[in-house]
Amino acid sequence: MNRQNFLGHLALALSLILVAAFAGQLRRWEKNFSEHRTQRECGSKDKVRRQTATDSTRTVLVKFRDNQSASDIEDTIAAHHDQVTDKIEALDDRLVAIYDLDNIKAESVASEYNSLPGVEYAEVNQEIDLAPNEATQDFFNDDQLNELQVPNDPQFAEQWGLQNTGQRGGQEAADIHALDAWKQTKGDRRVIVAVLDSGVDYTHSDLVGNMWTRPDNLTEYFDNELGYANDRHGFNAVDNLADPMDENGHGTHCAGIIGAEGDNHEGIAGVNWQVQIMPLKFIGPSGSGSTKDAIEAINYVIERKRAGVNVRIISASWGSRANSKALEDVIRRAGEEGILFVAAAGNSSVNTDTTPHYPSSYDLPNVLSVAATDRNDQLTSFSNYGPKSVQIAAPGADVLSTWLGNAFEEHSGTSMAAPMVSGVAALIIAAEPNISMTDLRARLLDSADKLPQLKGKVASGGRLNAARAVGAN
Amino acid sequence: MKLNSEEATSRARADLGRRLGVAESDIVTVSVSDTVFPDAALGAYLEDEMAADVLTNGWTITLSGPDKAPVEYRGSANQLRLFNFKGENYQV
Repeated sequence: MNRQNFLGHLALALSLILVAAFAGQLRRWEKNFSEHRTQRECGSKDKVRRQTATDSTRTVLVKFRDNQSASDIEDTIAAHHDQVTDKIEALDDRLVAIYDLDNIKAESVASEYNSLPGVEYAEVNQEIDLAPNEATQDFFNDDQLNELQVPNDPQFAEQWGLQNTGQRGGQEAADIHALDAWKQTKGDRRVIVAVLDSGVDYTHSDLVGNMWTRPDNLTEYFDNELGYANDRHGFNAVDNLADPMDENGHGTHCAGIIGAEGDNHEGIAGVNWQVQIMPLKFIGPSGSGSTKDAIEAINYVIERKRAGVNVRIISASWGSRANSKALEDVIRRAGEEGILFVAAAGNSSVNTDTTPHYPSSYDLPNVLSVAATDRNDQLTSFSNYGPKSVQIAAPGADVLSTWLGNAFEEHSGTSMAAPMVSGVAALIIAAEPNISMTDLRARLLDSADKLPQLKGKVASGGRLNAARAVGAN
Repeated sequence: MKLNSEEATSRARADLGRRLGVAESDIVTVSVSDTVFPDAALGAYLEDEMAADVLTNGWTITLSGPDKAPVEYRGSANQLRLFNFKGENYQV
């Protein structure tokens, strides 16, 4: 091949590669929209926005002229109240895909941009039909679809604690960075989290797949006083019926925060997409329970741990000012078995260094006391705090989760913040099954996002960061 | 059965009448106000009681008997409590 022929072939080959790459990119845009995925915002790899299944019809490709700087482009798009969903690096970021936020027809948006002097051309995004097999095999697969780690759960967009896009007046990224964490792990069903609460509606369709069930090779629970109890679905200390079905809703809510099934086209996503929730019921229908019943339930967990059940965390979204030495002792014993005890700091707006709230104020190596932040990363007005006695903060206002009757509800309280921490603890264990309880606790605190507004309020000075906790960034 | 503010107030009036040994007609409803309580015990813990740390919507019901001293009840859809009556909390 002579030099001229070689250059010609090279140019042709490069052109074909570019066309193929561009077609693939277009297809990915379309697919990401049509599959109800979110798109990464221009210039911010960590932030995503939720868009609807019809969004591909509202996407416009705009090519800006060479004399337009990056800030010119951003200003123009912002002035038109549009959102960048992608940009083409090969064209110096001057070809951008934008999404109109005002529900205007894409044709009108394209026409508007075409009238601007800084725009070379604007066109409506067109679907490029490829043979299904070719499209599936060559341009997107499950890995690509899950690249952003956004679950398909329809109410995920309301879960600001996991991914805060600024929805409902919140602050972007004032969340636990769940999407980045999920690049590392989405949980593991070998990890068991005990929810010590009002029981759990273990038939809830968004929880049922992540509920613990006593294995067939594990005999029924025997207690010297209670006798045998059929603990198929967990433990009930309230009426000794051993059916931990929730009659209040609070325990079901906490369970969903930890481990509502993720990416199952239903409801919400838990911090863990996969995990096992062990319901422990000691709170009755009114929302309260006795110290004795809490102790019975913790004792159950310890016994099951000793029998080989991999319970690593007890999540406790309750408390009072009653200081029980017996409760403290049994929690200490749980710690000796390697069980982390995550407790709500309480909602009385007080400093628990001077006005304790138990069990969160027990000064034990396995206890983590959790305060609540809002969607602007501020300590909530109701949350207890304590530079010595509260260790960390986590989202705890307007938290959407599972509820009785296959429902979903928003609730607020340190009750909601504690299971966020329990959930991230479970994620860490999923990634590092052999981590010790002591290291687990330290990891949660060391990886928190230090925030000035939490300095002097919680010992770590930070809000939970799932991504850093699992080593994802 | 879920309570509403009217039912909660009615039950509170009957309860206070019994406790004071007077007719319910002698009980005056001073005020009923919507309240967000800090927990499921409505901030009125019983001895050795642990409660869910969730904000709970309800009502503060202030009544008085013949001696005119205010008595506070706290109610929600799930329950009614008498708050700090002679130094004690009660579940009604």
